[in-house]
Amino acid sequence: MISKVVVPNLGATGGDVTLVAWLVKPGDYVKAGAPLFSVSTDKAEVEVEAFRDGYVRELLALPGSNLELGAEVAILSDSMEERLPGVVNRSQAATVVRQPVKPKSQGDQRASFSSSQRTEALPSPPIESSPNTISVEQMLSMFRQMVLIRRFEDYLHQLFLQGLVPGTLHQCQGQEAVAVGVCARLRRDDVIFSTHRPVGHLLAKGASARSIAAEIWGKATGCAGGKGGQMHLVDAFAGAMPSNAIVGANIRIATGAALGFKLRGFDRVAVSFFGDGTSNIGAFHEGINLAAIKDAPVVFVCENNLYAASTHVSLTMRISDISERAKAYGIPGQCVDGMDIIAVYDSMSEAVSRARRGDGPTLLEFKTYRYAGHSRGDPTGYRLKDEVWHWRKSDPILRMRNLLIEGYQQEGASLDDIERACQDEVEDAVKFAQASPEPAPDSCFGPVYAERG
Amino acid sequence: MSSRKMTMVEALRDAMRLVMRDDPSVFILGEDVGISGGFGGGFTVTLGLSEEFGHERVMDTPISEMAIIGAAVGAAMTGMRPIAEMQYGDFVFCGMDQVVNQAAKMHYMSNGQVKVPMVLRLPVGATTRGAQHGQCTEAWFMHTPGLKVVCPSNPYDAKGLLLASIRDDNPVIFLEHKLLYGSKGSRQEKTSLDPLAEVPEEDFEVPLGTVAVKGLGRDITLLANMLMVHRALEAASELEHEGISAEVIDIRCLVPLDFDTIMKSVIKTGRAVIVEEDNLTGGWGAEVAARLAQEAFYHLDKPVTRIAAPDTPLPCAASLERVYVPSARRVVEEVCHLLRD
Repeated sequence: MISKVVVPNLGATGGDVTLVAWLVKPGDYVKAGAPLFSVSTDKAEVEVEAFRDGYVRELLALPGSNLELGAEVAILSDSMEERLPGVVNRSQAATVVRQPVKPKSQGDQRASFSSSQRTEALPSPPIESSPNTISVEQMLSMFRQMVLIRRFEDYLHQLFLQGLVPGTLHQCQGQEAVAVGVCARLRRDDVIFSTHRPVGHLLAKGASARSIAAEIWGKATGCAGGKGGQMHLVDAFAGAMPSNAIVGANIRIATGAALGFKLRGFDRVAVSFFGDGTSNIGAFHEGINLAAIKDAPVVFVCENNLYAASTHVSLTMRISDISERAKAYGIPGQCVDGMDIIAVYDSMSEAVSRARRGDGPTLLEFKTYRYAGHSRGDPTGYRLKDEVWHWRKSDPILRMRNLLIEGYQQEGASLDDIERACQDEVEDAVKFAQASPEPAPDSCFGPVYAERG
Repeated sequence: MSSRKMTMVEALRDAMRLVMRDDPSVFILGEDVGISGGFGGGFTVTLGLSEEFGHERVMDTPISEMAIIGAAVGAAMTGMRPIAEMQYGDFVFCGMDQVVNQAAKMHYMSNGQVKVPMVLRLPVGATTRGAQHGQCTEAWFMHTPGLKVVCPSNPYDAKGLLLASIRDDNPVIFLEHKLLYGSKGSRQEKTSLDPLAEVPEEDFEVPLGTVAVKGLGRDITLLANMLMVHRALEAASELEHEGISAEVIDIRCLVPLDFDTIMKSVIKTGRAVIVEEDNLTGGWGAEVAARLAQEAFYHLDKPVTRIAAPDTPLPCAASLERVYVPSARRVVEEVCHLLRD
């Protein structure tokens, strides 16, 4: 198979980009995720990665040249023998560009778009929590969900690099253990309120990959018929309420849902997912305080991934653990390793039990990391590669995999099967999305109001 | 059907009492709404309800407008029918995200998967408390698709519209004019009209999306809401002495708007004057005037005229407030001027 590599839309930039250097040469075999070339924009210098495995067959642009977004710059193929299509304009560049140019040292330090494959060679710390209360079926189910989320996000990222994903993207690679560990402790009739980064939460709560992909593609078959988009995913039947793109809004909304459950005498629980940045908005205070004084059955799940968009958490608060803020509301707060599925699962267990008992809310802070940028095309020029690698060493999926092999005597091959099945499910979902019809134009006009009934 | 004289406060309280006896999903939340020995919210509307329904269902909250409205949205999305109170309508702006970005959009954004059946009660109207305790806020909400906007002028409508609003499956912004409440004791307003009306004791609804034609007229249509309905009626009675027959339409529900009834009246009289307490620019009157200009153009004998508060914040002093809020005299003068030209 022959694939064209194009210049991706690098988010915050408005205009063209300049090709700084090639990091590969024709004939190289690259793995998906390997840096191919670096470009500079008016915001940052960024490495662009391969979206697939393959041979570098042709380089189509010279270092120093200005490139339009979407311009074809290289060709990848399965073999060196495949015939290249004649459609690409390679006559000037390909014969000249033979030697990769070393990137500037500054560019080398910066983090680039990330992809999970890099973690495979890294050692990972063992999961320290005791897993012995969790059945192998439950472990495998959680592993599968985490892999599904990772594959979904990675595949979309690869498609994004090819300019094939419409709209915006806020991805959650690295944070899968939080989504899965939290939702694994919930019943279907419990509700979650997610954020602008919702894919992991929705998949973990039971929404289908097809309905999510179709929503991201803005299709009629999307979970919200194209009206929600990537930031507003929903599956009310699965207990995933519309995800919210106003920071902090769902702290109050989840509190309200929980108050309703309590008033009716139901033992249902509401969960509010939010990030470290949310802990600084006024809604955090009002919502958690109200939940605390009313013993609302809600669990506040803070995914502390260290960055509010590009701003590091150390610049926005004087404390190191957001869970400390629980003290101010007289509720339990716990700081947990969010890269450790078992630790997430255990902490959630206590928080949910407490809520169901009628003893009120808990603030759980999960230290985690997003490998991707804040949103599509965020080149993450604000953080160092070392930091990304540091976190990737404790990749939650890798740790889970190791635990399954060492602690649960699972065969690596059977886990590979799960990974392949997840990849198939994701690719099927995207195919479904791409093949689905656009929403009917008339569907723009409603439903604005619910019919009384 | 038995009925008795009620003030608007009594009518509103009666509506909530009836529906709460009937439907366990209905609850009230707000500041000072249920405190024992307290005053029943900002203007005594919820007085006595916590004694009957308990402090869980008549829920006192901290001073947290964001949380009050947000919690109402969350509860509504998951099966409840909350009634949230702002102590003063002006405070809604502290929680405006929850109204505009959350309550109003959830149904559409989820393509109908969730609905938000809640009522947000806002005491509005100028009562010599100054700029942050007396503005009329309806235009803000009328501009936001997904919200319904209700604004009664009398106790009968207040009860019937509130019952309909609580049972509606959408977020309803329910404006209550402080000079129409009829609150007792220290909560009574000095310049209040406090209309009393015969109100059925039973459960009944005044459908949303309706206006009320108050007295038939030939020469001019006066369109008004809340307190301004009373000003318009007073003006109509004065105009009658001048030989001018005015038809007053009470716009008791702004969204959905019964524009057909307005059209019929304006086609008959050929003249329309809008009386509103809100600021002139971008008020509800601007929308109605624009629609009349487009849809009733060939039936109009005179330009559609708006009488409204000036485009300034609300002043506090009673003497300035009288300048600010349209009076019956001003309505009479503007109508006479319009008909004379």
